[in-house]
Amino acid sequence: MEFFGKIVAAGLMNGAVYGLVAIGFVLIYKSSSVLNFSQGYMLLLGGYIFWSFRGGLRLDLFLSLLLTLPCAFLMGILIERITLRPLIGQPLLSMITVTIFLSLVLEGVASLFWGTYPLEQITIFPKGALKLGKTVLTTESLFAFGLAIVVMMVLIFFFRYTRLGLSMRGVAEGHEIMQSMGISVKRILTICWGIAGVAATLGGILLGGTLGFQLGLSHIGLLAIPAAFIGGLESPEGAVLGGLLIGLIESIVSGYVGKAAGVPASYIVLIVVMLFRPYGFFGLERIERV
Amino acid sequence: MAHTSFYPPSGIYSDSYRKDMRIVKTKTQWVLSIVSLIFLFAIPQIPFFNSPYLLRLLIGVGITIIICLGLNVLTGYCGQLNIGQSAFVMVGGFTSGLLNIHLGWPFWMCVIPAGITSAVIGAIFGIPSVRLKGLYLALTTLGAQIILTWIALFYIPLTAAGFSVGPITIGTLVFNTPKKFYYVAMFFTVMMTFFAKNMMRTGPGRAFVAIRDNDIAAEAMGIDIFRYKLLAFMICTFYAGVAGSLLVHYMMWAHLESFTLQDSIWYVVMVIVGGLGSIEGTIFGVIFITALKELIFVIGPMVEGKLPFLPIGAGSGLLLVIIGGVAILFLIFEPRGLAHRWNLVKAYYRLWPFGY
Repeated sequence: MEFFGKIVAAGLMNGAVYGLVAIGFVLIYKSSSVLNFSQGYMLLLGGYIFWSFRGGLRLDLFLSLLLTLPCAFLMGILIERITLRPLIGQPLLSMITVTIFLSLVLEGVASLFWGTYPLEQITIFPKGALKLGKTVLTTESLFAFGLAIVVMMVLIFFFRYTRLGLSMRGVAEGHEIMQSMGISVKRILTICWGIAGVAATLGGILLGGTLGFQLGLSHIGLLAIPAAFIGGLESPEGAVLGGLLIGLIESIVSGYVGKAAGVPASYIVLIVVMLFRPYGFFGLERIERV
Repeated sequence: MAHTSFYPPSGIYSDSYRKDMRIVKTKTQWVLSIVSLIFLFAIPQIPFFNSPYLLRLLIGVGITIIICLGLNVLTGYCGQLNIGQSAFVMVGGFTSGLLNIHLGWPFWMCVIPAGITSAVIGAIFGIPSVRLKGLYLALTTLGAQIILTWIALFYIPLTAAGFSVGPITIGTLVFNTPKKFYYVAMFFTVMMTFFAKNMMRTGPGRAFVAIRDNDIAAEAMGIDIFRYKLLAFMICTFYAGVAGSLLVHYMMWAHLESFTLQDSIWYVVMVIVGGLGSIEGTIFGVIFITALKELIFVIGPMVEGKLPFLPIGAGSGLLLVIIGGVAILFLIFEPRGLAHRWNLVKAYYRLWPFGY
């Protein structure tokens, strides 16, 4: 039971971060119906940029965060401008494959500048432990969990109540209608990618702090995809819940089955969910008319 | 010149559908195709060309062409994305290898079962996603890549460690050197290319194109979308299985490391660069990317040596940036791939001197 509590706690902690990354995924899907397979590599690159400020230049924690986040926003914007903007009007297939190729480029850039070996470990959050009954939680993961939840809440409120968030939801409904309502779809898409970059980078920082900064971080992107999908590709709240669910599944399966079964198990769950609830738990069922 | 591929050779009038659908239309084309086939099979005998390095490269190209042809049938013709192709190559390779060493079946008996096993496992992964509209196949094939390699790594002790496989034999002839294996590889490449080219002229082939172009309209025309999407996916994985079987018998060694997610992505790169929905484009794409890869394998270490400030492993990063970058550039500036260039050249030659 003690073991169970421990892995549930660990799963929820990681799951919050997956949810955060999945929100970026949902955001891009909602606004342009593109499945962004490069989300994990945006996370990797963002994490590495943070590491350069914090571990490389040894700047203050808040200063490095303050410098990283605009870089992350810029990274998202650049990706959108350079690779996706020219493909507007092309079939969806090209837009999705371009994100797959983008993941090659981003991984290449990361290993070109930072090498293929894991980077030096840096501490981001104060070390310590919190006892909850028999379960011990490290403050590191508590901070990560808290921060992820706060950021997710901010993003969800942003979609729901701000003018910009509202126009983003409008763009998700249909590009032509929003264009005729006087909202620049291009600008909204750019901002969406920027925010997705920031969400991915925050995820990268939080996970890098606990797992270490290494190329393997990009695998989190592989977990964010089933998270976003199980929650329903259209719903940020669904992404959060999907993230927590995937975190739990991953943690419990790796705890009891071992053998690196976490990621495959998430995909098995994904395929089962696809069989029974093809549009996820909170997604919109698409009705097609000719 | 938008529809350049529709310029027929001069003086050829198709007065029946049969004539219109011929692959080889003129006498010159017959002569050229026979000459190039003879050249293809004569390469190991021509001095200068028959260095083991080039032959190994050509065998790799041949096997990759088979893999990418399957992928192009699915992605280019049917409009579905598969980013787990190398997992299905793995299934074919391991099936063939296990049949070979455990039951003692020769390669010629293993190759079809390998393809079929691949196709059946492909169907298991395909069914949940082809039911849905849109590009959900990309998700389940990604899942297939992860789940299948994981099963092979942890639940089948033999495949986890890798095992050796017997070479291909006919009677007393053993195809164990690149020079000999080349013939087998090219035989299969030519056969599979021919099948793929022909398949696209049949009813199912046209159904694939209809689904790609507009699935709602295709459904309204009476095409069973579920069935044909699944069929396309099974053809794709069948090709992968056959190629996997060839691959393990060529290397005489079956190991997980040849079947990674990155390989799967590279196959997609080759198909995109070559040209979606074009059989000859697939061949160009594979050759182009293989050549580029070899070039970077030479340049990469040199760059790493010249620029000492770069970290360890920068060479592999360079490879990824260049290959990924080339693929993105192709998608943006030449979405129809190298096949389109080829058609432009053909049109130029056919319209000369009145081209515009």
